Amino acid sequence: MSYAYLFKYIIIGDTGVGKSCLLLQFTDKRFQPVHDLTIGVEFGARMITIDSKQIKLQIWDTAGQEAFRSITRSYYRGAAGALLVYDITRRETFNHLTTWLDDARQHSNSNMVIMLIGNKSDLESRREVKKEEGEAFAREHGLVFMETSAKTAANVEEAFINTAKEIYEKIQEGVFDINNEANGIKIGPQHSPTNPSLPGAGGSGGSQGSGCC
Amino acid sequence: MFFNRVKNAVIGAVSSGSELNGFGSESSNSGKQNQHHLAPKFPYGRPHFLHLEDDEVQMSADHKLRPIIHPSKSLPHHTGYAECVNAGKSKWNEDQAVYRQGVLSKVVTVENGNQTSAASQTFSIPYTYYGIFDGHAGVGAALCAANQLHHILHEKLVDAQDDIWADLSKNKKNGKSADSLLMGALESAFNEMDQLIAEDRNKYQAAGGCTALVALFILGKLYLANAGDSRAIICKNEEFLPISMDFTPENERDRIRKLADEQPALLGTNFTSREYTQQPRSDDLGKTIMYREAHMKGWAYKTLQPDDLKISVITGSGKRSRVMGTIGVTRGFGDHDLLAIYQKTPIKPFLSPHPEVQVHKIVSMDEKEVLVMGTDGLWDVLAGTKAAEIVSKSINTFMEKERYVSAATCLVGFARGTLANENQMWHLKGGKQASCDDISVFVIPLLPYKLEFEELMQKYFPDK
Repeated sequence: MSYAYLFKYIIIGDTGVGKSCLLLQFTDKRFQPVHDLTIGVEFGARMITIDSKQIKLQIWDTAGQEAFRSITRSYYRGAAGALLVYDITRRETFNHLTTWLDDARQHSNSNMVIMLIGNKSDLESRREVKKEEGEAFAREHGLVFMETSAKTAANVEEAFINTAKEIYEKIQEGVFDINNEANGIKIGPQHSPTNPSLPGAGGSGGSQGSGCC
Repeated sequence: MFFNRVKNAVIGAVSSGSELNGFGSESSNSGKQNQHHLAPKFPYGRPHFLHLEDDEVQMSADHKLRPIIHPSKSLPHHTGYAECVNAGKSKWNEDQAVYRQGVLSKVVTVENGNQTSAASQTFSIPYTYYGIFDGHAGVGAALCAANQLHHILHEKLVDAQDDIWADLSKNKKNGKSADSLLMGALESAFNEMDQLIAEDRNKYQAAGGCTALVALFILGKLYLANAGDSRAIICKNEEFLPISMDFTPENERDRIRKLADEQPALLGTNFTSREYTQQPRSDDLGKTIMYREAHMKGWAYKTLQPDDLKISVITGSGKRSRVMGTIGVTRGFGDHDLLAIYQKTPIKPFLSPHPEVQVHKIVSMDEKEVLVMGTDGLWDVLAGTKAAEIVSKSINTFMEKERYVSAATCLVGFARGTLANENQMWHLKGGKQASCDDISVFVIPLLPYKLEFEELMQKYFPDK
């Protein structure tokens, strides 16, 4: 199926916070209660529509396990968006956010949109991290924030789509150089110019004064 | 945009001097020209069992990220597999991998105690096949092998199944052993695969060549067939046992020089089977030089004659050894039109599809004993001891479902290393240069094949 843009996402955060479940809920609209360990990286994809444009999200779901950290770190590069996930019922997963964020900032491109996600909002009775704490952390670090439940699907669509909207806006503003695939954005096959030196489709503004697009 | 990246990748490979297999470009090095109108026999893709979509195939070939891909659905007995693309020496990942499960079925008439009635019974012998194929000068040959070799092998096994069964049930005197029949099936299948690629030469796009490493599990044994420089080891608790030999020009020096000595016409006008400690130069004519003939074990001196200015059929050592200055691997499939880089002498007569088959009876009851099969992209930067250490760590950390995939992923991850920034090389943890080649790895637990065999014997020969 043709698309105007492809955005690459990564999902990061401690093991067991529900990264793969968020992805499964988003791509397949189902919940898997059994925790299957993610090894290295796994992939998911879904088409969404923003501003009546078809956008394909290609999502790299990374392993939270320490054993794979050096491998997964290398995938931050070349992502346009990141979902940084913690578990609202386990405080330590919230406490580790700074480490994850440092890692992400260090290894990704500076324009990457990061969405902070407090997952398992259905488990209110076991909550250890207040919603306000998540909001404060997000504000302090310039992230977008949302609480989700991969189980009930609450806010899952929004988390992925709002991140895409943010990326899309940055493209419109010319912040992202869409001709550099290292930014995690690819122009769809039907929309890409035949000659790479020609301006790309998508009506984006001037990109970083390069004179291109 | 994409083409720009590919172009950069190619420039990178040349400027860093890392044309790892010593190949020139396909068009300049192949005996055939104007092949562009022919279609490839099999379209490019990644192994079927990875179930990648088109976008993911594109993504898997990202030379800057080199994602490590593993199967999303379990392989038999949770066998592990992982792969990643090269750092830019070729557009696509030229490795291929495949696994297959098959059954040899035979209807046997069983005599009942009383002479008048006979019943028929079907005997089924299951087998599992794993193969990895490291392509060079294109993806064609490796794709052919990954799509066809198991079919050819299956036919060979079916041809041999009566004799295999006879050996198993010990009801035929002077029959051939199952071992020799299974080895023969593998050997003849390898040969036919190469023939098939030869026959396809004028029908399809140039295929290049590939190595082949195949593991056949049948009757409680592992038959490991190798033609090329991929490698297999058995790992158990941080220890390892090599069960294949690398077929490189250096290791096959004797075979190739002997052949060259017997059939000097194959050398053309520019090569010699004679070896020198130093490549002679015309300035040295009339001086003495150390040499040995193909039939000599030791070295001697001779006066340098004009005829000595020919190039030795094998040059270099280790990873840099070459046949006719061109190819760094001496067995495998394809390369039927490969010519020496400058001299344009056909090289194929010196290459062989013949595998060395090693038979390994699975005796250990240890579920931690695994077979590791990897292309040279892995072994270039990783010794057996380190591989065993990584495998052992994964096996001890994870449960059965994840441990072998995790081991494969960690092996590839180690060899691939990391890229600190885009202007640098991929490096290992200690800072040494990491593998820039395509890397593919199977990690296969052995115990299930022993248990499978015991079950089979219990079913058909409960008395033995």
